[in-house]
Amino acid sequence: MASDDSRGKVEVRNVTKQFDIENPDQGLAIRDINFTVQPNEFLTIVGRSGCGKSTMLNIIAGLLSPTEGEVLIHGKPVTEPGLDRGMVFQSASLFPWLRAIENIEFGPRNIGMPKEKRRALAKDLIKLVGLEGFENKWPRELSGGMQQRVAIARAMAMDPEILLMDEPFGSLDQLTREDMQRELLRIWETRKKTVIFVTHSILEAIYLSDRVLVFCPHPGNVRSEFTIDLPRPRHKSSTEYMAFYDEIYENIS
Amino acid sequence: MDTITTLEEEKKGFQLSDRWIQIITTVAIIGIWELLSRSGLIQPVHLPSPTRVASTFFYIMREGYPQDITIFIHIKATVRRIIQGYLLAVVTAIPLGLIIGSHFILERAANPVVTFARSIATISLLPLAIAWFGIGELSSVLLIMYGAFWAILTNTIQGVKQVDVTLLNVAWMFGAKQRHIFFRVVLPATLPRIFAGMKIGLGVSFMVIIAAEMVGTVEGLGALIQQSRLYYRTDITIVGMIFIGIFGLIISIGLDRLERVLLPWAVGLEEVKR
Repeated sequence: MASDDSRGKVEVRNVTKQFDIENPDQGLAIRDINFTVQPNEFLTIVGRSGCGKSTMLNIIAGLLSPTEGEVLIHGKPVTEPGLDRGMVFQSASLFPWLRAIENIEFGPRNIGMPKEKRRALAKDLIKLVGLEGFENKWPRELSGGMQQRVAIARAMAMDPEILLMDEPFGSLDQLTREDMQRELLRIWETRKKTVIFVTHSILEAIYLSDRVLVFCPHPGNVRSEFTIDLPRPRHKSSTEYMAFYDEIYENIS
Repeated sequence: MDTITTLEEEKKGFQLSDRWIQIITTVAIIGIWELLSRSGLIQPVHLPSPTRVASTFFYIMREGYPQDITIFIHIKATVRRIIQGYLLAVVTAIPLGLIIGSHFILERAANPVVTFARSIATISLLPLAIAWFGIGELSSVLLIMYGAFWAILTNTIQGVKQVDVTLLNVAWMFGAKQRHIFFRVVLPATLPRIFAGMKIGLGVSFMVIIAAEMVGTVEGLGALIQQSRLYYRTDITIVGMIFIGIFGLIISIGLDRLERVLLPWAVGLEEVKR
């Protein structure tokens, strides 16, 4: 039972990443970062560009290795990407030569899931992200918002314990962005997962998260932490919401 | 989706008028050419008139030039050599390019060699080809292969190098093993660039046909042009030129069609980039 409790738990311990070893002052991306994400928690890292938030996410993903420190996922150190983590990238990064549904099946296909099974799974996910009727479109035929929906479905197809999202809605227009935020919360509530979400939008961070970490640059570090204890759905114009906004904004500046 | 279909419809309307412009331009060029030749402004030996070229064509079709070697024999010989040489280039350059492109060290080692080799005009290799492979079919086919090989190789290498790193990371995150990454990401991502190389290589193999058919043959459109040069038969030269042009055109249209069938996902990507 103890191991079950820690499923989806992420511990970041003393993580430092230095890109340029010979010039320590130049290439320091993040220094001595510590935080823990609880199972099924929605955590957002917010900060200006260059504060190392994407670097942190890539280290958790296993795409980058830390210079010092370690990331533990249910107690085991991360050395490379694994199926316990799914990722949604800044640009949707769909494979242009695969149709929407085939993009969703990409992960299951790699692990050798039989064709009928993965097709059925992908169809369920198409429904979950609201893309019925668009299964057989090429990525170039989909709008930016639809492409991100496919990318989310692709990540969900592996049923990961942890969903890593790197500014996934950054390139969408404001209205689509708000739709996608609502959708993401709905998906997160139906299929409970730990989410680590990176954004530079404070409003987005407060709308989505259980907890917000504010990163500051030179070198990237955690400046402060906010627990957003407002009931969902949250109203961006409410007084409590704006109070959080002002406080976080002051921390970022 | 709506915008895409309307754009495509618009393009179809455009292509129709394009077709008319092409016909009008062709007729105009032939008309002016005929007038210039008839007016005596240009000597017929410098530029024979279209009617003269047409009657020469019918003569070669019936009687042949040299005697009994009709235009069909010339065409068949040339098309066969080009297909053989070109296919040899395709089946060797693509795998080699994929291997070189995926290995950073190999790519750096190959770079100067490739640049050096592709700068050598194929015609200058003629004496070497004859010395190594003798006078005959083999030399012709290998010269065509040489011409097409480098264009396909360089484009394949570049294609592999330009694969989006994020897509490789996506593959890695989603459980792809080394062979999956190659067959499901690197290869499909490189295909448009491979096709571009194949089109350029095809153009080159048509350009080197004259040189390739200098090697002890009287059959072939290139050989026909060589013969006509010896006897100042510019009308025959032009017949040969026209046929080489027509076949080049047919094969590139074929490749374009093939690309649309094999890479439907890439259709319109280039237009968008422009």
